[in-house]
Amino acid sequence: MLALNATTVEVLNRDAPEPLARRRLEAFDLYREIPPPSDTDEAWRYVDLDVDFDTLALPEEPGQPLKPGPFVSAIGDAAGRVVVVDGYTVSVDGGDTVRIGRGAERWERGAVPSLVDPSVDKFAAAGFAFGGDGVFVGVPAGAVEVRPVVVELQATAGGTISFPEVTVEVGENAEANVVVVYRSPDGVDAVVAPLLGLDVAQGARLRFTTVQLLGDATVLVAHERARLARDATLRVGEAGLGGSTARLDLGVRLEGDGSSAEVVGLYFGEGTQVLDYRMVIDHVGRSTSSDVLLKGAVEDHAQSVFTGLLRIAPTAARTSAFETNRNLVLSDGAKAHSVPNLEILCDDVVCGHGSSVGPLDAEHLYYLMSRGLSRDRAERLLVHGFFEEVIERLPSDAMADPLRREVDERFGAAQAAGRLG
Amino acid sequence: MSLALQIRDLHASVGSVEILRGVDLDIGFGEVHAVMGPNGSGKSTLCHVLTGKDGYEVSGSALLDGTEVLGLEVDERARLGLLQAFQYPVEIPGVKLSELLREAAEEWGADPEATLTRARELAERLGATEFLDRSVNDDLSGGEKKRSEILQMAVLRPKAALLDEIDSGLDIDAVREVAAAVEEMRGPDLGVLLITHYSRILRYLRADRIHVMMDGRIVCSGGPELADELEAEGYEGLRERLGLQPEPTPSERRPSDFFTDTPFDF
Repeated sequence: MLALNATTVEVLNRDAPEPLARRRLEAFDLYREIPPPSDTDEAWRYVDLDVDFDTLALPEEPGQPLKPGPFVSAIGDAAGRVVVVDGYTVSVDGGDTVRIGRGAERWERGAVPSLVDPSVDKFAAAGFAFGGDGVFVGVPAGAVEVRPVVVELQATAGGTISFPEVTVEVGENAEANVVVVYRSPDGVDAVVAPLLGLDVAQGARLRFTTVQLLGDATVLVAHERARLARDATLRVGEAGLGGSTARLDLGVRLEGDGSSAEVVGLYFGEGTQVLDYRMVIDHVGRSTSSDVLLKGAVEDHAQSVFTGLLRIAPTAARTSAFETNRNLVLSDGAKAHSVPNLEILCDDVVCGHGSSVGPLDAEHLYYLMSRGLSRDRAERLLVHGFFEEVIERLPSDAMADPLRREVDERFGAAQAAGRLG
Repeated sequence: MSLALQIRDLHASVGSVEILRGVDLDIGFGEVHAVMGPNGSGKSTLCHVLTGKDGYEVSGSALLDGTEVLGLEVDERARLGLLQAFQYPVEIPGVKLSELLREAAEEWGADPEATLTRARELAERLGATEFLDRSVNDDLSGGEKKRSEILQMAVLRPKAALLDEIDSGLDIDAVREVAAAVEEMRGPDLGVLLITHYSRILRYLRADRIHVMMDGRIVCSGGPELADELEAEGYEGLRERLGLQPEPTPSERRPSDFFTDTPFDF
C-alpha cells in the first residue's frame, strides 16, 4: 500500500512522463495545503464525511475485476469497453470510430488537461497528485458513434482510495455516447474519487450516463466537469443507488453560443446512505439552455442533498435555464435537503427552479386504491411513476429497465421490512 | 335476490357538521338511479362515504350485493365491486392508464393480458384508445378525463358504479358522449348511482329512478318525469312545494344565527 505522501508521489513519478510528473508535484503541494472537508464548509454542510487521508492508501496493483452485473450486461452492442479496477485501467476493448485509450498512455503523448480544478477540495487535489490512470475517449471531428462506450469503475480493496480519471473529448460535429458504471462489493470500505471531464466541441453531441452501484461501505466523491462549445449538446444522466456516502459534484459550463445541456438524475437512498448532489450550471454564451431534473427517494435513515445553482453570466443573453428537484421521503427517519439557487446577472433570460420534499401524495394513493389496488401495490406503482419521468429521459435507453427493476426491488424490500411511514 | 346497492339510514359528518342525515336508497341490478340536488346538499359526500374516503364519521349501512361495505378499506370495497368515477379525477404523472389497469387486474385476480385486450376494445368504442398509453388523466381535457373514468369502470366491471357529476364542466357534445358511454355499460350485473347537478345529462341517459337530495336527505323520489318537473320549478320551488325549511350551510350563517342556535340561559 502507498500512503498519500511525498514518497508515494516520487514512486509514482519514477517512470512517469514529464507532464504528468509535473502535475503530480504541483498538486501535491495543493493537497498538503487544503484541509479535509468539514461540516463548517458550506459545500459540505449536510455531509459528515468520515475520511481519514492519513490512513487511506493507494492500492499497489488492481484487484480481481468483478463479474459483469445486470447493468453492464444490459448493454448489448457497445462501441468499446473499459474496465478500471482500484484506479488502474486493466482492460480496454473496442474503439473504432471512437479512440479509446488508457489514461496513463495518453500522458505519454503530452499533457492531458483536466476540466476539474484541483483546488476545489482535498479529493480533487489528491486526484491530481496521486492519480493519472483511467480512460481517454476521443471522438474525431464529424465521427458519429451512437453505441455506448462502457466504462466500469470498480473498487475491490478495503482501506484504499483511488482516483480514476475519465476524459471525453468529442470533436466538432461528432457524436458520442458514454456509460460509466461504478461498482464495489458490499463491505469494501474504499474511497473512490474520480475525475470526470467532458469536452464537447462546436456542434458536437454527447450523451453521458453514470450509474452508481457501489457497495454499502464505499465512499464516492466524484468531480464531473463539462465544457460546451458553440451549438454543442450534452445530455447527462445519473443514477445514484449505492455507496455509504456518495457525492457528485457536477459543473457544466455552457461556453459557446447556442449550446445546451440537459441533466436528469434519480437516486434512491436506504439504510444510512447519504446521497449528495452539487450541480452548478454556468451559462456564459448567448442563447444557451439548460434543464436539470433530479428526482430521488429516501427511506429508513437515508439522507439526500441537492444543492443546485444556475449561474447566468452578464454575457448570456437569451438564456433559458431550469432546475427541478423532487424528493420522496418515505420513512420518518429519512431526510431530504433541497436547495435550488439562481444567480442571474443578465436581464434577457427565462429561468425557473422548483423543489419539493414530501411523502407519497395521499390523493394519488386514494385514487389508485379506489381502483382496487392494495395500499402496497398502489404505493409501488406511485414510486414507479415518480421515477418514470427521469428514466424515460435518461440518455442511455439500455439502463432504463435495469433501473426500473432496481427501484422496484428497493421499494419492495422497504415495504416488506415495514420501514415506510 | 340482493340489490346492487342498498343504503339504510346513512349518516356522515365532518367534525361537528352533519352532512348526510339518514339516506335510504335501493338500487337494483340493471338499474340506473340519478341523485340530483343543489350545491352542498351532500350528493358528493354520499359518493365519498360509499367509496371510503377518510375524514368522515359514518354510521348506518351500505350493502353491496348483500355485503356490508362500511368499515372496509377503500381497496376492499373496490374489489368487492364498488367503483367511483370521480368528479375531479387526479392526474398521476408517470403511471400509464394501461399500467393501472394491469395492476388492478392482478390485484382482482383477473388475467392482466385479457383485461388489457378488453380495455383496448372498449377504449376504441369510447374513442379513448390513446388514453391507455398516457399517464392517468395527465394532459386530458375535462371531457376526456370523464371518458377515462367511464373506461376504467367498463374494464373493471363493478357491481355498483358511483358516477359523481360526470357531466360537470362538459360541453354538450361531451355530455352526450359520456352519457352514451354509461348507456354502453348498462347491464343486468350493474347498478348505477349517478350524481348530477343538472337534468341535462338525463336527456341522453335513461334513468329508471330519480331522487332529489336536500340537506343530507333524499326528500323526494320518482320516475324520469321528476327531472322535467325539477327543470320547471327549480330546487327552491320543490323545497317550497314539499314545505321544507331552507337550511343555511355553516358558511352562510350570520353571527346572529349562533344566538338562536345556542340560546343563552340567563
